[in-house]
Amino acid sequence: MFDYLLQAANIVIHWQNLLALLSGTIIGIIIGVLPGLGPSAGMALTLPLILKWNPTTALIFMGALYKCSNYGGSITAILVNTPGDASNAATILDGYPMCEKGKGGVALGLSATAAMVGGTIGMICLVFSAPILAEFALKFGPAEYFLTAILALTIISAVVQGALLKGLISAGLGLMLSTVGFDVITGHLRFTFGLTAIEDGIPLIQALVGLFAVTQALCLAESAQSISRIGKLAGGFWEGAVTYFKYPYRIIHSAIIGLIVGVLPAVGQSSAGLLAWAEAKRESKHPESFGKGDPEGLIASETSTNACMPGDLVCTIALGIPGSVGAAIFLGIMIIFGVVPGPLVFQEKAQVIYSLFFALILTSFILFLIGMTIARHFALVTLLPNEIIVPIILVVSLLGSFAIRNLMEDVLISLIFGVIGYIMLRGGFTPVPLLLGLVLGEMVEYNYHRAMMISGGSYSIFLSSSISKILIILIILSLFGPHLGIFWKKLRKMKGGKSYV
Amino acid sequence: MKQILKRTDVIFKITLFCLFIFLYFVATSYPEKSKKFPQLVCISTTIIIAVSLIFDFSRKEKIEKEILDVGDTELTKIDEDFKKIRRHRFIKAWAIILISTAIGFLGGFLITTFLLLIGFLFLFGEKGNFLKNITISLLITLIIFFTFQLIFGISLIKGF
Repeated sequence: MFDYLLQAANIVIHWQNLLALLSGTIIGIIIGVLPGLGPSAGMALTLPLILKWNPTTALIFMGALYKCSNYGGSITAILVNTPGDASNAATILDGYPMCEKGKGGVALGLSATAAMVGGTIGMICLVFSAPILAEFALKFGPAEYFLTAILALTIISAVVQGALLKGLISAGLGLMLSTVGFDVITGHLRFTFGLTAIEDGIPLIQALVGLFAVTQALCLAESAQSISRIGKLAGGFWEGAVTYFKYPYRIIHSAIIGLIVGVLPAVGQSSAGLLAWAEAKRESKHPESFGKGDPEGLIASETSTNACMPGDLVCTIALGIPGSVGAAIFLGIMIIFGVVPGPLVFQEKAQVIYSLFFALILTSFILFLIGMTIARHFALVTLLPNEIIVPIILVVSLLGSFAIRNLMEDVLISLIFGVIGYIMLRGGFTPVPLLLGLVLGEMVEYNYHRAMMISGGSYSIFLSSSISKILIILIILSLFGPHLGIFWKKLRKMKGGKSYV
Repeated sequence: MKQILKRTDVIFKITLFCLFIFLYFVATSYPEKSKKFPQLVCISTTIIIAVSLIFDFSRKEKIEKEILDVGDTELTKIDEDFKKIRRHRFIKAWAIILISTAIGFLGGFLITTFLLLIGFLFLFGEKGNFLKNITISLLITLIIFFTFQLIFGISLIKGF
């Protein structure tokens, strides 16, 4: 392995590959910053430019773009409450409130540091443990995948806003929306009501743009304020970087969550960030500050998301199962360049794969440097007057929505989701579980059917393995854990009272 | 404020309750495998909504009492005024968005973006500064146009 890594280092430091890495990093950040244009749209847009490149250079460019557009998405999630992609959904929870408090600079510094640290931890761990992790992921059957997705949904529903029932309703709505279009099993058309634009399902990026960008624009338009409510940016990037290292336990814990979630095929970065955030909130001594601009929340979500990406790539490369929309496109690009994913790819295309891994480690550091120098200028966006920033968010995000399929219907889909998101916010709901339901819905349904087919229609399959049993216990705890805690305390109080009397 | 939040919350839940029941019956015409999962989601979510509504209505009395306690004070008047302003801004914003989007179908990207920007600048910004508003709108429209069309080569809304 060390031989491969040394060879990879030699390949990556070649000027052509370094240039590809740098351009991928910069284009990735720019694409990520533009609301609505996430890694998937970015890779799809730049693919025609690199078709004649050699596979190693092309994959280094795409890997850097993929990684950095996630970071770019974090910038918009922090500054304008608009995640570039589903993977940045958790960033808004504490990133944007920090920005509202005028700590946009600190939040961006934290995010850049998390991208470097989380990404590096993720890559180093995966370079050394990729074969073991891939083997562990192979132990998951359909029942385990189904339960993992349900666990992600229940945790998010329970924790993200502190109202379990509302969270579950939101997740149910997301799952229901994921069933729109062709059925993954039978190919039957469902709930389209004659609308051709949604025959392939509710388009995720368009829904995302609506739920976050349009809703955000509407809320801003209503409030007559600039994004930074105190009208200035307090705190600098270096303060963010220093703050980041004050939470070593949270960094390691979140990186582990990100790695585990990343390795599980088809669960994806959005779940990693949200799970790490939920876990940080659960463990915190001051959970009430989460979602209101707590730096620990941002550290958890960003570190986990960045650590998840390498895990996601390992599943994509080793098993051919993408963990997200972006990873799916990356998988397609690998095939285009003759690097066919599968268990043997680590031997057959070791040079390309290890070059990609090495390039991604290097990208983490370049990203940090660029993030700490250029990102300062992005923070100024938050000071723009309301009447300018609102139409800009609307135009850019709706254009991103339109550009994916060149359909005007997609703009309408985003606007409809904007209204849904707005009503949900006014009603005290959060659109995050809805989004997760929409992202995981297809996987949940597919694995549910596969599990039922294997068991011959018996639900006992969901209790057949020890992994399933652990997952079920975790689901129950995520739903009733807080109530059990309160009940236990009351019981102890009552018992204590009786003995006193 | 509480009253409005409560109302939106309950109306949204009742709407979803009806929607899920409707979708459950729509799914009955699908093949067995296609209807099973959506119906399962419908049933479970409908139950959760029902439980949530029961909680809401059981707490209704308590909240009504809270609102009565506040009474017709200056605070509620300020709250009402604030809500009125917000409502007006919301309606105006939607009017601009809908008009601009509708024009996008006909006139394409440049007209839509320009109208959206000018609409927001005139309705929410400095109304009197005509030249400044026109210049800003034109400038931003062109920047977005060049960024998307020329740098990224993204096709923009063309219109008819």
